[in-house]
Amino acid sequence: MRTFVPGAVTRREVLQQCMALGSVAVLSAYAPAAMLAAFEEREKRALKPTPPNELGPFYKKRAPRTEMLRAPGDPGMPLSVSGQILDTRGEALPDAVVDIWQTDHFGRYDLEGYHYRSQLAPDASGHYKFESVMPGHYPDRVCQHVHYLVTAPGHKPLVTQLYFATDPVFEGDPDKNFTRDPLIHSRELVRPVMLVGDPKDIHAAVRFELCLERA
Amino acid sequence: MRRAAVICCLTLLAGLSLPAENLHLEKTMTLPAGVNVRFTAISRLGNMIAGACQDEKVRLWALDSGALGQTVDLAGEHVSALQFSSDGRLLAAGGGNGKVRLWDVPSGTLKLEFTAPSAINVLVISADGHLVAAAPLDRDVEIWQMTPKKMAAHLHAPFAGTLALAFSPDSAWLATADGDTNVRIYDAYTGSLHSTATDLLLEPFAVAFSADGKTVFAAGADKTVTVIDASTGKVLRAFPRQSDIVVGLLLSPDGKLLVAAYANADDSRKPAPVLIWDVGSGSVKSTVLTPGITPNGGEFVADGRLLLTSVSGDQLKVWSVR
Repeated sequence: MRTFVPGAVTRREVLQQCMALGSVAVLSAYAPAAMLAAFEEREKRALKPTPPNELGPFYKKRAPRTEMLRAPGDPGMPLSVSGQILDTRGEALPDAVVDIWQTDHFGRYDLEGYHYRSQLAPDASGHYKFESVMPGHYPDRVCQHVHYLVTAPGHKPLVTQLYFATDPVFEGDPDKNFTRDPLIHSRELVRPVMLVGDPKDIHAAVRFELCLERA
Repeated sequence: MRRAAVICCLTLLAGLSLPAENLHLEKTMTLPAGVNVRFTAISRLGNMIAGACQDEKVRLWALDSGALGQTVDLAGEHVSALQFSSDGRLLAAGGGNGKVRLWDVPSGTLKLEFTAPSAINVLVISADGHLVAAAPLDRDVEIWQMTPKKMAAHLHAPFAGTLALAFSPDSAWLATADGDTNVRIYDAYTGSLHSTATDLLLEPFAVAFSADGKTVFAAGADKTVTVIDASTGKVLRAFPRQSDIVVGLLLSPDGKLLVAAYANADDSRKPAPVLIWDVGSGSVKSTVLTPGITPNGGEFVADGRLLLTSVSGDQLKVWSVR
């Protein structure tokens, strides 16, 4: 019996063998070679799940659905966060629900109401966005952060946090200093910050894609 | 606030302060050189204190003499949870690597050992001493039985695991305060879900059964103590809301008093009170608050006294609350 040795045969050879043995059938108007190429391309797009991070505390359920978290006149650097909710195959998850919560500019969570809390519904292509302010620091946590709880049918819930490369704690070098917050286990959660607008109306913009594993 | 810090407060009662006039110093123990006691568990018999020490050892002191008894070396594993059984004959320790050990007291014989998949947030021993439940960080609760030694059930919370646990007085039910803010009541032996309280909006950090087992007290980030019907999960009433979050609950043996330890939500280093609630009326019976002493453990003991421990320099002090 032939033994499969990883790396000894190409993925394409394995697929061709599968087709020859009938374990993969191509039912398409396109040539099998084209279908194999498309299959391989799709597999290449496989994404790693977003690293999880602690829930909170101070998660509050039944948050309102709003993309505008900051109120007029709120202190702090305006912040725009956007991204896409994907599965590990790179497919968008438009049915996901994205709970986010954070402190205000002064590092205080709203436990009485829902200020700086929202439950977002991504659009048909899985994109989400919200407008907020850069969260503050507070004594029990080292770094500024936004909490995420992402759920989607057929996928494992993702609890994680977004951090900012501009956080003064990192002294401009998050690669080297991200572990200064003992809760940050993955550099991937520290996202670059773009300053956009003009000097009279500057705000920070961050992209944070989230990738969920199948249940 | 870090979630882990809150979880830690469940055990430590950290941040609370006590007025000198309400406290009576019962005993002072001098600690071995270089040893710091992070938190304690007090036997309900009132005869023994176990300390989770900074050097990753558990030390036992006799309360009447203050003498240091056994020292258990956990081979470098950080102790994250510690509890005596109701009859004082078992001591359970949970570790930062997920290991749970139960010893016979005072012989020190290891009675049960298992390893959960992550650091133990909290553990409890059933009143009959037959079951131990452990909540690993962000993972399923595991219920183990002592005889025969095996996992009786594991309880799945939808996300973010379980923050607090309590067995009913008859050991039949286990209440879990879960990260999704629900309080769930399970059959302790089968793990089947009995009821779910879904009305809490913020995370409960503490949970306790009433003396008759018919209701459950839950409290946490919502700054209130909520009374829940254990059979239906319906909220029956809530004690008046305070200005601080609740990080620990302790019911007196007669079920008439409920001790609630509070913490400042914005800065856990700031002082916050301990309130002793009258369960029947839902009103505050007394407030314990004073700067200078930070208790790191507490328990009602058999004669009805509420004992608290604190560390000052190289001394472990035991106080009774009048």
